[in-house]
Amino acid sequence: MSCSHNLTEKDLEPRVEIPLYLESIKGMKFFDPHIHMTSRTTDDYQAMADAGVVGIIEPAFWLGQPRTGVATFQDYYSSLVGWERFRSSQFGIKHYCTIGLNSREANNEALAEQVMEILPLFIYKEGVVGVGEIGFDDQTKAEEKYYRLQLLLAKEASLPVQIHTPHRDKKQGTQRSMDIAIDCGLDPGMVIVDHNNEETVQEVLERGFWAAFTIYPFTKMGNERMVEVVKKYGAERIMVNSAADWGISDPLAVPKTAALMKQSGISDDIIHLVTYKNAIAAFGQSGQLHETDFSTTQQVDQSLKFQGNTILRGGQQPRINKDSLIIR
Amino acid sequence: MPTTEERTKNTVFTYNANSLKSKLADCISRHVSTDAWQWLTEKTSLISKSENVQSFMVAFAAVTRKTGKQPVVLSDSEISEIQQIRSHFIIQHWEIDRLCRVWILLHLDTKDENKYIKTIEDLFPTAEMNEQVALYSALPVLAYPARWRARCAEGIRSNIGDVLRAIMCNNPYPSENLDEPAWNQLVMKAIFTEKPIHQIINLDERANLNLANILSDYAHERWAAHRTVHPLLWQCVGKFINEKNFPDIQRIASSEQETEREAAALACMQSNYAPARELVEKNPVLRDIAKSGMSWADLAKKLERNS
Repeated sequence: MSCSHNLTEKDLEPRVEIPLYLESIKGMKFFDPHIHMTSRTTDDYQAMADAGVVGIIEPAFWLGQPRTGVATFQDYYSSLVGWERFRSSQFGIKHYCTIGLNSREANNEALAEQVMEILPLFIYKEGVVGVGEIGFDDQTKAEEKYYRLQLLLAKEASLPVQIHTPHRDKKQGTQRSMDIAIDCGLDPGMVIVDHNNEETVQEVLERGFWAAFTIYPFTKMGNERMVEVVKKYGAERIMVNSAADWGISDPLAVPKTAALMKQSGISDDIIHLVTYKNAIAAFGQSGQLHETDFSTTQQVDQSLKFQGNTILRGGQQPRINKDSLIIR
Repeated sequence: MPTTEERTKNTVFTYNANSLKSKLADCISRHVSTDAWQWLTEKTSLISKSENVQSFMVAFAAVTRKTGKQPVVLSDSEISEIQQIRSHFIIQHWEIDRLCRVWILLHLDTKDENKYIKTIEDLFPTAEMNEQVALYSALPVLAYPARWRARCAEGIRSNIGDVLRAIMCNNPYPSENLDEPAWNQLVMKAIFTEKPIHQIINLDERANLNLANILSDYAHERWAAHRTVHPLLWQCVGKFINEKNFPDIQRIASSEQETEREAAALACMQSNYAPARELVEKNPVLRDIAKSGMSWADLAKKLERNS
């Protein structure tokens, strides 16, 4: 932990020089409804706060290395509602999460059974805004089984569902994910279908689901394509996220996409909906996420700043000059 | 107030748990909606009877969904009544969900000691940040106080600010139950992580030579790094000023910072070490501070204002 007795007000101020693209979206607020901060560094939190990100949702996912015991799932879920939530708060970013058994690890059935048993312990916790990310990877029988069971769990708890759609056989997988959700009796308005592209979006919207787009280099959407999607479909039930994780990804994907939309002549109202408001409306159905959660915090921060008070500002972390050779 | 007889009859608790339970029930029912109150009473009556641990755990997690998070507002008489039942149990800055969680824990059956301990211990590993705060806040009112020592020491190892504050500040459990090494770790970590140490209950009573030595070493490390030392640190050193650490006191006595000079005077006043007494009597600056009647609490308030 840092020791910051010598903190001055200057250390906490947003940095003065900012990249040109951020200049155009200065003062706008962003909400990234899909980002895996567990895999990201503290520098990313700082950069996100600088770019106007005020809230995020961290879906439970696969950590890259398969887990072999239920205890590691438990610790992971606990860290999403404990340590990671605290880490985020240090940068003034409100952290929420969705809890679920990801599709890949649903294929280890013996383990999946044990994970299903502990899920109810977590989904009722404060700040858990949905069951996710669940759905298909390989589209196996086991994946379908645990997808269905988790849909029922979400229905029972009146929680939204965050669906991961597969990389391979995406169009079919997306259709099948929606069919099963309907079959399990879920209201499409409670389901966020993630990782859409130009091929899937129309059907998702027509059937009444929320359509999320992941701006992620090489494998998912690019933000120039995203601009075209918004031009074509408008803002209703559409949201943008970064899904930044341990891969080559970008935690600033949401603000960058907003800047590109602005540059492309898309109105501020539309940008506000797809990079902030819609995600809050969709996951707010959990009753665990309110815009006031972070808008009031911000007001408090502002007023305290006028008094020059640094200690009371929620334990925010001091800023360091990364280009400096000297480390103090 | 319970009589001594009543207290000894109720051996699992160090205070009258039933009085506290009903006093807190009054506060809670006033703060939450009728629906939430009904839910709480339903759940707590099940908890006292039921064998279903999972449903208890889910209820404990779901509290905030029912109660919200509004701040607890108490009258002065309520504050003093609560403190009469359980001394130093300070809840006036809590939010209602935290109070409800602590109150729920008071309903667990204490007859089977090991089962009682296990039920509560099992809540810790999966606790969300606010649940952790509530759990550690509950330590001073749980049954079998000695059984929570290791848990309290474990909590001090946390790096989550709010969790540390719940253990360190306005919580009488640590000073009443921790052994010296764990207590010293609490004080040292509170200083290291910049917690309001004047809110540590019984800080003066638990001061000890080992802690004074640790803090003096820490001050030297800070000075070597050209960093400042928190003036309230010396509150734990005053009683143990000796030839080894007296130069530290001399150093802060001539500090440019007024608050450091004040800390030097206050520390010397706590000491029986002759050179320290002499310093505060002969040095005009320190003498004036001593005469002014300033206390450590006054210095704490002043530092808070200046921060």
